[in-house]
Amino acid sequence: MDAPVIALEDVRVTYRSGFLGGTGFDALRGVSLDVAASETVGLVGESGSGKTTLARVCLGLLAPTAGQMRFAGQPFGKLRQRRGQLSVVLQHPEWALNPRLRCGRSVEEPLVLTGVPAAERRARVAAILDQVGLDPGFAARLPGQLSGGQRQRIAIARALITSPRFIVFDEAVSALDVSVQAQVLNLIRDLQAEHGFGALFISHDLAATRYVSDRIAVMLEGQIVEEGPAARFYQTPEHPYTRALMAAV
Amino acid sequence: MSRAVVDINDLVIGYDTGTRQVRALDGVDLTVFADETLAIVGESGSGKTTLGMAAGRLLPPEAQVLGGRISVCGVDVTQADDLTLRQLRHTRLGFVFQNPTSALDPTMRISRQVALAMGGRPDPQAIAELLARAELPEPERILRAFPHELSGGMAQRVVIAMAIARNPDLLIADEPTASLDASIRARVMTTLGKLRAESAASLVILSHDLSLIARHADRVAVMYGGRIVELGPVAAVLDAPAHPYTRALLTAAAGNERPGERLRPIPGTPPVLTGRAEACAFAPRCLLRELRCEAERPEARALAGRDVVCHCAEAVIASGPSPRREVR
Repeated sequence: MDAPVIALEDVRVTYRSGFLGGTGFDALRGVSLDVAASETVGLVGESGSGKTTLARVCLGLLAPTAGQMRFAGQPFGKLRQRRGQLSVVLQHPEWALNPRLRCGRSVEEPLVLTGVPAAERRARVAAILDQVGLDPGFAARLPGQLSGGQRQRIAIARALITSPRFIVFDEAVSALDVSVQAQVLNLIRDLQAEHGFGALFISHDLAATRYVSDRIAVMLEGQIVEEGPAARFYQTPEHPYTRALMAAV
Repeated sequence: MSRAVVDINDLVIGYDTGTRQVRALDGVDLTVFADETLAIVGESGSGKTTLGMAAGRLLPPEAQVLGGRISVCGVDVTQADDLTLRQLRHTRLGFVFQNPTSALDPTMRISRQVALAMGGRPDPQAIAELLARAELPEPERILRAFPHELSGGMAQRVVIAMAIARNPDLLIADEPTASLDASIRARVMTTLGKLRAESAASLVILSHDLSLIARHADRVAVMYGGRIVELGPVAAVLDAPAHPYTRALLTAAAGNERPGERLRPIPGTPPVLTGRAEACAFAPRCLLRELRCEAERPEARALAGRDVVCHCAEAVIASGPSPRREVR
């Protein structure tokens, strides 16, 4: 059994503000969570519950105040060493993509940074666009010329191009229409089966989360109040807060 | 049947994009009755926002009414002069927009904004009572606050309070809960429904959230390609859809599947109309299409308790009950 891609152990994050960090706010209060390879962990909870803070810790953008984060069994180390191993797909693809760059250029950018030669880059961009279900001709288009679903596919293609071991989907389908949402959710499942990345799927939409996830963690006020296989979230979950979320599905 | 608040007849609206004209509404017929909740569902680009905003003539300048009429509380909105329209908007209509933080003026305290919506010089007690009706806790604190000091759910309740300030006959809510958290969506919708019932107004919800509609609306109108393709009581339409698009939408929505089951998205993309559709707009994406669907424009007809715009509606009903499971 390999070490999980991401292992959080009793992670605490305190945001300080005021004179000499006088007042502190605990965004995460002792969170332990593992994400294995080829596994999607869903993270649901309301705004302010610490979902995004947890994602930032997992991506190494924020060092925990206390506790430990291990990446593939090793201490996380410098962000630079983890180039191409981590990715993120955000809620609004129109903000995540540079509107003045052709989509192909946006998609290949991670490869430029890791020093892949141009000929290989072109081939890999064409291959990844094909995998996310877009014609290679989309590489020459600007983000403004695409629909919301197509833009989100471009964002997913860019996240996947370095074959990362871990991807965070932060509200990645919340802004999409019902049928486009279904397409993107299916795409995430298919790509994971093929590439075997570990994924953290953050959303406040329990219906979409349980469809795409293997396990689900429910966050409330900086703590994980319930965690279990996604199948349980089709029946009767234990925590009252989860039941309240279920009622909205 | 009760009194009609909104009466829309063969409404056609197009947007000038500079090079061509895109049709947003392609002949919409709709009546909204007093004291009912009507939901309009559809994907982006189906024309639901254009339809909702047309009721108050709140469309951008590039939108042009190409035909048909829309009458709200007896006023022909497409023809009315500015003063009549202003009166209508002020006293008869209430709007609730998708994003409460951009609907409120960030430079004004809540008390002043609500007072403006109420008209005249209401005393602070009346303003506080109005906020209390919208189920806002601690009205005194909220009155002194600026919009950025409120949470999304509270700001949306303020917007709702402003919309009902003058006891309007018609409330139009464009995705009222889309920007809110799942856990407070239901509560905000319940407040909106309660206030509607108290004032016997009509509520039109524009949304793509099917489970929300199933719970809060009386009738539902499904829009596709600028037309209403199915219109009827919520129970009839969502439990036994007669239009293939309604059915496909229900199949594609996450939340209805069993564990391990795969969602089936609708193939293809929604149409962009540049003129009157002379065939069924859904035909290219429809699994049941016949030769007739690509040659003849379907017209609305009554079938199984609802109006449907489809040549093959009988076949859709015969294909079994809705994929939507019982709402808890």
